[in-house]
Amino acid sequence: MFSRGLMARSAAMSAAMRALHSTSKRSLTIPFLPTLPPTPGGVKGDVNDPTYTPPPDKLHGSMHWDFERFTAVALVPLVGSGLACGAGLSVVADSLLCSVLLAHGYVGFQSCIIDYIPKRVYGKNHNYAMYLLTLGSLVGGFGIYKLETEENGITGLVKALWNAGKEDKE
Amino acid sequence: MMMSGILKRNIAGVVARRGLATEVVQEPRLKTFKIYRWNPDHPADKPKLQEFKVDLNKCGPMVLDALLKIKDEQDATLTLRRSCREGICGSCAMNIGGRNTLACLCKIDTDVSKQTKIYPLPHMYIVKDLVPDLTQFYKQYKSVQPYLQRSKMPEDGKENLQSIEDRKKLDGLYECILCACCSTSCPSYWWNQEQYLGPAVLMQAYRWLIDSRDEASKFRKEMLQNSMSLYRCHTIMNCTRTCPKGLNPGYAIAEIKKALATS
Repeated sequence: MFSRGLMARSAAMSAAMRALHSTSKRSLTIPFLPTLPPTPGGVKGDVNDPTYTPPPDKLHGSMHWDFERFTAVALVPLVGSGLACGAGLSVVADSLLCSVLLAHGYVGFQSCIIDYIPKRVYGKNHNYAMYLLTLGSLVGGFGIYKLETEENGITGLVKALWNAGKEDKE
Repeated sequence: MMMSGILKRNIAGVVARRGLATEVVQEPRLKTFKIYRWNPDHPADKPKLQEFKVDLNKCGPMVLDALLKIKDEQDATLTLRRSCREGICGSCAMNIGGRNTLACLCKIDTDVSKQTKIYPLPHMYIVKDLVPDLTQFYKQYKSVQPYLQRSKMPEDGKENLQSIEDRKKLDGLYECILCACCSTSCPSYWWNQEQYLGPAVLMQAYRWLIDSRDEASKFRKEMLQNSMSLYRCHTIMNCTRTCPKGLNPGYAIAEIKKALATS
């Protein structure tokens, strides 16, 4: 009885020590999201098998990348003309600037989610993050619609923000 | 003429004798190495940095020389991989002074006031001390099918010929020794190494993609058409900066992206 108690205690102690000494994973994961258990050694299957190759999916492969580049390049003249014309930018050009900016943000954040909230580690929460991004982008799109129809577009908004402090001072 | 000859020989003799007889008294130049230690036999013990001092006057110029000297003379339990000691096998890849490189190609910093820290390749599972587990890396290499694929071989049963220009395309790619320095320096590979192939393997994928003798390029391109295998590369370019062989995996990946974008 005594020895069993001692053993149990020492086992508990060593387990506690191990927990204390194992390298913390906190730095690599998002604190409040539960993670799926990692595979031992990061390896799936036999050591001699090649790694799993996902089925080809152009939409999430090259087309996604192309779209990222396209929005990035398209933003250069759009932002440039916006800066040059100021609030005098036409509604069409302004709404184009807004929507390309929104698309650029959308694909960019998609990449971030794939990088940092991968399905492999976070399971369902990866999908929820994507849904949240889509929802946010839709709200953003609605905001752009309001901005273009009822306000002076994004250039007008930026101009108003730019001058907001000055008016307060005066 | 003869006199001067004798004189010369005499001087040479004196020099030779001196070299043999008198020992030059040198101040020991003790360089401090801090080396990552972890022993799987005691998994509960936290990994630690152990300090070793090596006299640079009695040690070869490279970090590998110092490591082997430590292993021979101070602590035989220090574990590392090494083989060719001339940068052709890629076994002794490790993180020296914050940079992934080959210990055999990395000169010891002779400034003895500074210490050199040596870690295993970053963000890898560790087998012991400086030995990382490269199983996943080799599995990934296998997944890109790094061998010639053709529907038919030449009639005479000899070589698959290619032009000098086509051969030139492989320069800067075939020299890769798969030391994993570049892959393990890539933050994208750190986060997603279960799915992202990493610069070293992608460069080999490109090497087979542009080989004029290979006929499987359509398949090779298709297997990279997903969000994880290739497109986790965000052109951070740590790979190119760290490559101990001076290769450019970042450029190879950009070329693959270009090929996929236009195909």
